[in-house]
Amino acid sequence: MKRYVALIMTLLFVMPAVALAGTVKLGFINSITGPEAPIGENLTNGVTLAIEDLKTKGIDVDLITEDDTGKPDKSLAAFEKLATRDKVTGIVGPYTSATANADAKMAERYKVPLIVPAASKEEITRQGFKWVYRVSGTTGDYAGVLFDLATTLGKPKTLAILNENSDFGVSGAKSAKAIAEQKGIKVVFEEAYSPGSPDYRSTLAQVKAANPDLVFMVSYAADAILLMRQSREIGLTPMAFLGAGAGFSIAQFAKEKDISQGVFSSTQWTKDAPWPGSKEWYERYVKQFGKPPTYHAACAYESMMIMGQAAAAAGGDREKTREALHTGKWNGILGEVRFQDYNGYQNQRKAVMLVEQVQNGHHETVWPLSDMAKKPIWPFPGWSK
Amino acid sequence: MNVFFQALISGILIGGVYALIGIGLTIIFGVMRVINFAHGDLLMLGMYLTYFIFTLLHIDPFVSIIIIIPMMFLFGGLLQKIIINRALNALPQNQILLTIGMGLVMSNSIMLAFTSDYKILTTSYSSSSVMLLGISISEPLIVSFVITACITMALYWFLYSTDTGQAIRATAQDREAAQLMGINVKRMSIIAFGIGSALAATAGALISPTYYIYPQVGSIFTLKAFVITVLGGMGSIFGATLGGILIGMAESIGGVYIGSGWKDVIVFILFLLVLLFKPSGLLGTSKD
Repeated sequence: MKRYVALIMTLLFVMPAVALAGTVKLGFINSITGPEAPIGENLTNGVTLAIEDLKTKGIDVDLITEDDTGKPDKSLAAFEKLATRDKVTGIVGPYTSATANADAKMAERYKVPLIVPAASKEEITRQGFKWVYRVSGTTGDYAGVLFDLATTLGKPKTLAILNENSDFGVSGAKSAKAIAEQKGIKVVFEEAYSPGSPDYRSTLAQVKAANPDLVFMVSYAADAILLMRQSREIGLTPMAFLGAGAGFSIAQFAKEKDISQGVFSSTQWTKDAPWPGSKEWYERYVKQFGKPPTYHAACAYESMMIMGQAAAAAGGDREKTREALHTGKWNGILGEVRFQDYNGYQNQRKAVMLVEQVQNGHHETVWPLSDMAKKPIWPFPGWSK
Repeated sequence: MNVFFQALISGILIGGVYALIGIGLTIIFGVMRVINFAHGDLLMLGMYLTYFIFTLLHIDPFVSIIIIIPMMFLFGGLLQKIIINRALNALPQNQILLTIGMGLVMSNSIMLAFTSDYKILTTSYSSSSVMLLGISISEPLIVSFVITACITMALYWFLYSTDTGQAIRATAQDREAAQLMGINVKRMSIIAFGIGSALAATAGALISPTYYIYPQVGSIFTLKAFVITVLGGMGSIFGATLGGILIGMAESIGGVYIGSGWKDVIVFILFLLVLLFKPSGLLGTSKD
């Protein structure tokens, strides 16, 4: 009797492996729950669409999803599990800069190709890693496009930087300072705040006292809303509020018309982007998920499409997949994607950025002027009573 | 100077809310000697209740306190009767584990039911303020402060002028003696936990127009509540009130003059200093 049971058990273990021989096994790490869940949702949906599209291309993806709740230690554990126990060919994710930076080191150690979809901390692709490829733009790109817009539409002379003290925030502040210096804008106030505080009023009072022309903010979902609410309370009215994507890009922020009107947000993709299929993809997303996508969804979609195709072409071999990523070229809703070495970055896509502005509760593409859906409102229109 | 007063006022106002959380915790500890690690999660429940009352019944958060106080009082009493009363004679470590477990069940149930997505309560006055002598004072915070003051006074009246209140204080002072005097200490514990929960939930309701709501929000406030309770002296309500306002001010002013990243450090250093020089807390009578 025991022998039969053992035989059946062995067969049961072998069966799945046999059945999945024709598919590509990939891992996906994301902030599905936790404070970044509102943004993480976009990445999940983007990947869902990618899996569908890969299937129509004849690539069957066996996707293993792990939730890192936005915490680096959980992300590391998830990465290790995917790399060693699940033995995936490649991994897409995670979302935040802090987790992505941690996972990048793991990717190098375990020699698993990793595509970073939306984390923008500069250092992630400045460490000489062979196995880490980044579709996302960097905070340098984020700050660059915002300041281009600001100096074209007006003549700002002073800048206040308000960033959360996470990896993303600190990198954002650094980029902003560097670019401000280049453009001759003086930084009159800078503060790295601890996220999760119920009260930013004293910090904002200091910002108001410094009277900056521009206020550059780097925050995730919840703080973006809180900061703008309290800015309205304090009566802070600069020439413009410049948000570095993330919390400023989500629909929930835009819906709060009292506090979001006129706020700029740097973005890697909008429905008005000049790349093939963008508008259709936007409409498909809205139809399937009931709400507009942020750029994170587009980045995750493209990352999974690239990883799926590379892994399938490489027959599931990690080194071959890495080579495919290193030398390949893809064209999709983010335009042409190639991973290059430049300016101290390795395996980094040269992101072409756009800027959105919240007008009447919706994000509208306002920059570059050649792609704008609506004209930018400049300067900041002041607070509604 | 303006910035200083701005920070001071915001600090005092938010200190009022902190005080409410601290008072709840100090009553629970005073009466039962149980360290309630689920206190922040009770606050979180209050926030979610407020959110749903607001979105489904369209009742203003401040008005909904009338519903929340009795509801959470009953809930807290139930928790005490069913769960904590059984562990009153257990080792303190086990009691702590019990309350931590309770907290985890609460926060994770809410997470399962409503996901971790942040919920934001937007009222017409969520970002309104009044300008007084060049300082902008948040409207919702002023109302919270006034309500907190009223509740604290009502609590004092209850504890000092009613029989039940005095019985609670007696139980807090010396449980065995109170029992010998004929006080039903188990019932006092239930009432105390009910009051503590109601206060925590009220604090949640008061802060909900200006903060964001998610299942794990409790942990930050539990920590602050502990600092306040120990700072003010475990078991002293006035101490908790004072502690709350002090912490609010320290956070706010420290945030301005030393850097907002250091806010929590300042609070904890203050805490350590008080413990070093006056271990029973500012107004505590050294019990054990």
